[in-house]
Amino acid sequence: MKELQELSRQLLADDVVKVVIGYEEGPRGVRAAFITDPAQTGKLVFDKRCVQNLATYLNPRRKQVAQLGKPAIVVKGCDARSVAGLIREKQVERGNIVVIAMRCGGVLENSEVDSELTSETVSVRCAGCDVRDPKLYDHILGELPPEPPVNPRRTEQIAALEEMTPTERWSFWNEELARCIRCHACREACPMCFCVQCTADKGQPQWIDPSPTPRANRAWQTMRVLHQAGRCVDCLECERACPEHIPLGLLARYVADAVKKRFDYAACEDPTVPAPMGVFRTDDDEEFIR
Amino acid sequence: MTHRFLSHHDLALLAADLVASGTRVIAPVRAADDLEQIDYLPIQKLEDAALGVRVTRRSLKEFFLPPSEVLLQYRQTKEGVEIREVPTVAPPQVILGATPCDVAGLEIVDKVMGWDYRDELWFGRRDATTIVSFLCSVMDHTCFCTAVGLAPDSSRGTDLLLIPVEGGYLANAITPKGKALLQRCPGATDASEAAIAGAEAAQQEARGKIANNLAAIPAEFAGWLASHYDHPVWKTIALRCHGCGACAGVCPTCHCFDIVDEHDSSEEGARRRNWDSCQTSKFTLHASGHNPRQSQSERFRQRIEHKFSIYPTRFGEILCTGCGRCARVCPGGMDLPEIVGNLVALSKAEPEGSAQ
Repeated sequence: MKELQELSRQLLADDVVKVVIGYEEGPRGVRAAFITDPAQTGKLVFDKRCVQNLATYLNPRRKQVAQLGKPAIVVKGCDARSVAGLIREKQVERGNIVVIAMRCGGVLENSEVDSELTSETVSVRCAGCDVRDPKLYDHILGELPPEPPVNPRRTEQIAALEEMTPTERWSFWNEELARCIRCHACREACPMCFCVQCTADKGQPQWIDPSPTPRANRAWQTMRVLHQAGRCVDCLECERACPEHIPLGLLARYVADAVKKRFDYAACEDPTVPAPMGVFRTDDDEEFIR
Repeated sequence: MTHRFLSHHDLALLAADLVASGTRVIAPVRAADDLEQIDYLPIQKLEDAALGVRVTRRSLKEFFLPPSEVLLQYRQTKEGVEIREVPTVAPPQVILGATPCDVAGLEIVDKVMGWDYRDELWFGRRDATTIVSFLCSVMDHTCFCTAVGLAPDSSRGTDLLLIPVEGGYLANAITPKGKALLQRCPGATDASEAAIAGAEAAQQEARGKIANNLAAIPAEFAGWLASHYDHPVWKTIALRCHGCGACAGVCPTCHCFDIVDEHDSSEEGARRRNWDSCQTSKFTLHASGHNPRQSQSERFRQRIEHKFSIYPTRFGEILCTGCGRCARVCPGGMDLPEIVGNLVALSKAEPEGSAQ
C-alpha cells in the first residue's frame, strides 16, 4: 500500500499524470478514488475488497473523468484485460495512460464487508484466475499472493444451464429477465459499452421498445450480450450494477465460452491480439455462409 | 389522540381478514433466494412478512407508480382507431409495516402529481390504499431522515402508526382510514400506561440511533444551491458516478417518467409510462442531437438541485426522505449523505459570492 501511495505521489508530483484512479476507503467499503493532489495519495488503498473494475473510468464516455487529464489507473490482472480491450478497440491510446498493476490474490464479492477470502465470500470472477501476475503495466506492485479459493457458484450455474432442455433454458432466462426494469445500469457500468449512441437509445427507428416488456427485455439483453461476444472480460460490473440482481454475467460467460470454443479466443491482456469480431482473416471457417 | 393496543395475534387476524376480503396486503418480505434482501411484496398471511428487519431494497413507490404501466391501448380497424383506456379506480390495498420514510415520500410526491395536472392513476392508487407504518428501528449509518425533517417515528403520510411494545403494538390512528382499519380489529384495547411508556422509550431509542447521522439541512441550502449552479465543486462531484440511475429506481421520491407508444403487433399497440432517470444521457437528449447535460457532472448536479433546491422552492419540500437507498445500491460508491454533508459545509464556508 505504501508502495502504491508513494508511486502515485511521484507520478502526480512529477506531472507524469494529472489524476490517479485507484481505490479509497468510503462510507460503505472501498470505492473508486480520483486523486489529483500529490498530498492526497495517502488515501489510496488496495486489498481484497477492491472488486470494482476501474477500467470503466477510462471509457471515453466518462467526460467528467477525461477532463481531469492524463490518468494513471490501478488495475488487477483481470481489469488489465479491460484496459487492453479499450486499447485494442482504439478507445484509449496506450501512451496516454499509465497502468499501475497490482498482483492480486482474489477479491471479495461484497466490497463492504472485510471478511476472510473463502469459497463463499470470494468473487466468482476469481475462479480459475490466470492473471494474478498482470502482464499489461507500466508499474507493477506487490508480492505474488497465493491462489484464491474458488467460488464454485458460476461453474455450477453454467452446468445447471447445460443440463436444461432448450425449453427449460428459455423459461429460466425469461424468468430472470422479467425483473429487468430497463434502467441500463449494466451498460453504464460496463467498461466495454462505449458506443456513442446505444441501439437501445435509438428512437428512429426504435429498434428496441424502451418499456420493460418480456419481448423488449429479451431483445435488449440479447443484443448487448452478442455485442459483447469476444469483448467481455467477465469482470461482472454489469451484474454488480444490476439493481434487480439478474445474473447478467452468466449470460455473458455463456457467450464467452461459445467464442472460446468457436474461435479459440478469450479476451486477453495483450492489446495487439485482435478479437475475432474485429479482424478479417482469409482462413476463417465461414461455415455459416455455406 | 387515543392510544390503542394490538397484540401480534390481532395484527395477524387483521391481515388474514383483509386478504380474505380480497384486499391486496403488501408487506416487507424476505427474498426467496437471498435472505438478506427484503422487498415489499404481497402477502397471504402475516407470517410471510419480515417486519422490522432492514430497509427494503426498493421503496413503496412502485405500488403507486409502477416501473412500467399501460396508459391506453389502441387497435387499428378498417373503421378507424379503437382506443381503450385503463381504469383509474384501483382495487383496495393495504401496506403493512412500511418504514416512515417511505410513507412520507408518497405525500411529498403527491405535490407534483397533483400540481398542474392531477395524475389520475397515482391518486387512484393513493385513494385505494391504507398505510400501516412501523416505528423504524432498522436504520444504519447511511440513513438521514432527521436531516430532512423526518424521524424514525414520523407519522407523516401514514394512516396508522404502529410502535412495537411488550406483547404487541401501540397503535395510533392518524387518519379516518387508519381508524376504520383499527375498527376491524375486535381485539384492540385501550393502551395501558405501561404500553404508552414502552412506546415512548422505543421512540426515544430509535431517535437516538440516528441522532449522530447527517445534521439537519439548513433552510438556506436551497437558495445556496440555486445561486451556485456554476460552482467548481460540480466538476468533480460525480467522478465515480456511472450514470446508471439505480439511485432513481430505488428512491421513494424520484418520480420522473417517460411516455412511449409501442406497437405490439401490426394492428395493436399500447401507450406506456416507464420510470426514467435524470442520470442517463438520453434523459435530456434533444431531437437535434444536442444534449444540454453533456457529462455526468451536470446530470448529478441536476439530481442534487432538483431534490434540494428546485422542489423545495416550488413545493416547499425537500425531495428526499433520507432513506439512504441510493447510497446502498450505488455500484460506484456515491454516498448521498456524505455528498450533501460536504455541500452543506461548503455552503456555510462560502455563503455567497463564490460562484465562478
